[in-house]
Amino acid sequence: MSKRVLVLAMAATVLTAAGASAGGIVIWHGYRGEEKTAFEKVVALFNEAMASRGIRATTLAVPYDAFADKITASVPRGKGPDIFIFAQDRLGGWVEAGNTIEQIDFFLDKAVTSRFIPTTMEAMVYKGTTYGLPFNYKCISMIYNTKLVEKPPATSGELVALARKLTDASSGRFGLAYTYSDFYFHASLMNAFGGGVFDKARKPTVNAPANIKSIELLMKWYQQDKFLPAEPSAALITQLFNSGKAAIVFNGPWFLGEISKDISFAIAPLPTIDEAGGQPMRPWMTVEGMYIAAASKNKDDAYEFLKFATDLQAARVMALEGRQTPANAAVYADPKVAADPILAAFKRQVDVAIPMPNFAEMAMFWSPVTTAMNAITKGGAPKAELDRAQREVEQRISSLRKSP
Amino acid sequence: MKTRRQVLVGLLLGLAVALGGARWLLDEARLAAAQAQQRRQAVITAQALAEAVQRAGGEGDAVRQVVVRLAQAEPSVRAARVVLLDGLRLEASTAAADAGEQAAPRRLTRDEKPLFDQVQRLRAAVDTNREDNAARKEEVEVARRPDGGLDLAAPVLADGSVVGAVLLETAAVPVQAPRVGWLPVLGLLAVAGGVLWGLSLLIGERRLALVLVGAVLVAGALVAFRGFGAGVLGADRERVEQVVATHLQQQAASVFSALEPSAAAAELDAAAWDVDAFRRPLGLAKADGTIEPHAVEAAVAAMVQRWSSFFWLLGSVGLLLLAYFGLGWAEKTWRTLVKHREGYLYVAPAMIAMLVLVFFPFFYGIALSFTGQTIYTTDKSIPEIWVGLSNFVEILGDFNVATRGPDGWTINYQNFYWTLGFTIVWTVSNVSFGVTVGLILALILNTQGLALRAIYRVIFILPWAIPNYITALIWKGMFHQQFGVVNQVIQMFGGEPVSWFEKPFTSFLAVLATNGWLSVPFMMVISLGALQSIPADLYEAARVDGAGRWKQFTSITLPSLKPALVPAVILSVVWTFNQFNIIYLVSGGEPAHSTEILITQAFKLAFEQYRYGYAAAYSVVIFLILFLYGTWQNRVTRATEGI
Repeated sequence: MSKRVLVLAMAATVLTAAGASAGGIVIWHGYRGEEKTAFEKVVALFNEAMASRGIRATTLAVPYDAFADKITASVPRGKGPDIFIFAQDRLGGWVEAGNTIEQIDFFLDKAVTSRFIPTTMEAMVYKGTTYGLPFNYKCISMIYNTKLVEKPPATSGELVALARKLTDASSGRFGLAYTYSDFYFHASLMNAFGGGVFDKARKPTVNAPANIKSIELLMKWYQQDKFLPAEPSAALITQLFNSGKAAIVFNGPWFLGEISKDISFAIAPLPTIDEAGGQPMRPWMTVEGMYIAAASKNKDDAYEFLKFATDLQAARVMALEGRQTPANAAVYADPKVAADPILAAFKRQVDVAIPMPNFAEMAMFWSPVTTAMNAITKGGAPKAELDRAQREVEQRISSLRKSP
Repeated sequence: MKTRRQVLVGLLLGLAVALGGARWLLDEARLAAAQAQQRRQAVITAQALAEAVQRAGGEGDAVRQVVVRLAQAEPSVRAARVVLLDGLRLEASTAAADAGEQAAPRRLTRDEKPLFDQVQRLRAAVDTNREDNAARKEEVEVARRPDGGLDLAAPVLADGSVVGAVLLETAAVPVQAPRVGWLPVLGLLAVAGGVLWGLSLLIGERRLALVLVGAVLVAGALVAFRGFGAGVLGADRERVEQVVATHLQQQAASVFSALEPSAAAAELDAAAWDVDAFRRPLGLAKADGTIEPHAVEAAVAAMVQRWSSFFWLLGSVGLLLLAYFGLGWAEKTWRTLVKHREGYLYVAPAMIAMLVLVFFPFFYGIALSFTGQTIYTTDKSIPEIWVGLSNFVEILGDFNVATRGPDGWTINYQNFYWTLGFTIVWTVSNVSFGVTVGLILALILNTQGLALRAIYRVIFILPWAIPNYITALIWKGMFHQQFGVVNQVIQMFGGEPVSWFEKPFTSFLAVLATNGWLSVPFMMVISLGALQSIPADLYEAARVDGAGRWKQFTSITLPSLKPALVPAVILSVVWTFNQFNIIYLVSGGEPAHSTEILITQAFKLAFEQYRYGYAAAYSVVIFLILFLYGTWQNRVTRATEGI
């Protein structure tokens, strides 16, 4: 009896293995909750549409913190999924490591590339080659407590005036609270001044004059206008906003799930900066892209899925049911999507956003600038600290590049 | 008689392995040289073709004509294609399959996607090398087919940027290299064996002297073989260079005649076609068919150097075998194995498991520490990226800990010695604190008739039971400058709130408090267990003799605690030395890496800076420090246990 069970079990595994490889594509993602449900619905729609062609897609939800390492470990060795979804900041590292992501310029045509918000497509290009299709984007925007703020500020002058009015440091109330010491958040101010951390030739420009000006403005807000809390951490910002002690926060869509039910909030675009000639604050975009694994045996089928999942029907599902902000531009004209205040607000913000650089060298940059930001917020001179960070980033990159 | 035989066996075995290995490497080197010759000729053909295509305008009928002429003139070319990026075009092809409806120019088919990807890769490589001003990415790709022929891709440029590539397939020609016979090796073996036997008649049965003679013979034989090999390789190379130079001359003539009528044929610099994978001219062959003698000599010397670079490894193995057999250890091992057959059989599965799970990763890490592997070179094999001891030199030889500036000393916090010093201070202060407070708590809990003792025990164990990841984050929150509990309490007592992570010293106090709180339970449990095992009549006897409480403590309690506390201290030292979680989560090394310990520094080197080889060297250094400490601690405590 047990022998028969064993034989049946083995036959079953062989058949499923055969089934999985013949015309089946495996997709890895890191979604949970409503995003996961919505994505599985998209996959089901795809399977319906492709039933006649015999293409079947299955998904696997991988815990987010292990995701990147799993891809790095399995794909170059020929294992792993056919498609995986991940943010574009790791793209450069994977391309440099090799054998991980398939180039898709060969498949692309104008019909596909023109359906996206142009900056999201830029984020998928590394050294002139396209490696994936953008699925959705995330960027920070201005989230405010509607009970405390009637009309959201449109310029930095209005922001300063409003924030000062709402600040009472002794009782722990702040007009504006955001993790300004995290360079990802500060980048929105830096980009308003036209600064940047890497130029086109991948040379670091951490101590560019525009960056220094943006930090000086931040320090004026912190030290003179005094409406920002000290030592901001993500947990602190959440706690301040949820207890009504922070009127305005700069944060992204990941924050919305943490806002407590008794706070009524709204989202508005980040203000323009008077000191930068009225330029808007341009946050960094994190674009989640869909990539085809280099080891995949079904690249054409995988590309069919990429096309389907970034098209209008799938984008509508992800937007309305998954609460994502898709990279597909046409979905925002859909009446239901346009009527949703959160989606519409982030769309307005992304129109002025800049994709975060996807170079492998970006990983070298975070630690020195975090040290610099911490030193500056404790009173260090902006130019000296940024110079030091620049030197350290340059030194790290050169010791990485001088490999034998 | 037995000694001589053992040494002779060791010598012959050692030499056989060493010389056999050297001979095998020599054959491999000759094969590699023959393959390199085939590659160079193919690269010259490809570069010549690429230049001809560029000069013919890059696209159009002129290019197709040039390609067909050149491919026909060169017998080693099986097929030549020109692929252009713009429009995914196959511009020219001499492949048999690309005829009739499939004739060039046409768009690439789906099956030809890898060709297009390859051209894009070349474009990215040329741009990267230009931007970084380094030779990092291959600009000419050469791949060997199973049938022995080569597939090459060389970029075609227009105005300095890559617009397409020439894809060449060479005919399937098996590459053979003459092999060095066994004669030289056998000859050296015979000579060495004879010399040893002869000398042994003079020296007698003195084991050490015989082994030393054997060692000298091993070294001598290797030196002799090296000389032999150098001669062989030199002769090979001269021949190769001449063939390549002739080929270069031929190609120059072909291209000239193919471009002839037009002015594009003027001023061909054929010597620029003999390049390496980064399109840097090798400078060995000249366009008129002659060779550059100095450059060739240097190339031969480099080849011999590369071949003999493993001789030290071979020599060590040979000497090891000589010592193993010559000093009688082989005999002893054999006898032990036979005597304890069953025991070794039982242990074998565990030994194999340890080998695979513990020893292999461990030795791989050590091997990695001798390379310069980074995220850019993960696909290269270890010998390719070997840097020897330079990682260790960089870590241990950097004494630039503090520099004197106009405002006084500035400390370079990323320096190894600062981090080492900090780690030692961290470990010593934590262990002292843990042992002291743990012992005090244990003494209190050990008092007779203490009420609610079980509840106290549970409370004091809690810091150890809760995952330290969570408690570390909570403590970090407690040290927040404005909202943290610690500052609130300080303010309650009328003090000024402290910005804990602003200065190195206060940051150190914060992490010390966290880890101290975490390490007390372990020490308390150990001490409590040891205290409860001290027989009570010892204290009775001491009291009867008139000893006071303090005397009882120092004469009875402390010595009885030693056998339990000493291993606990060793464990605690090793754990605290490598206490990653607390440092990483509470202070994160702030401010400016001043509170990093060695293990967090190694982590950041590997996973933030992607310098895997350097981080491996760092971890080997950590291991050596702890290993030395453990050995020393063991030695010292065994010495004092008898007192």
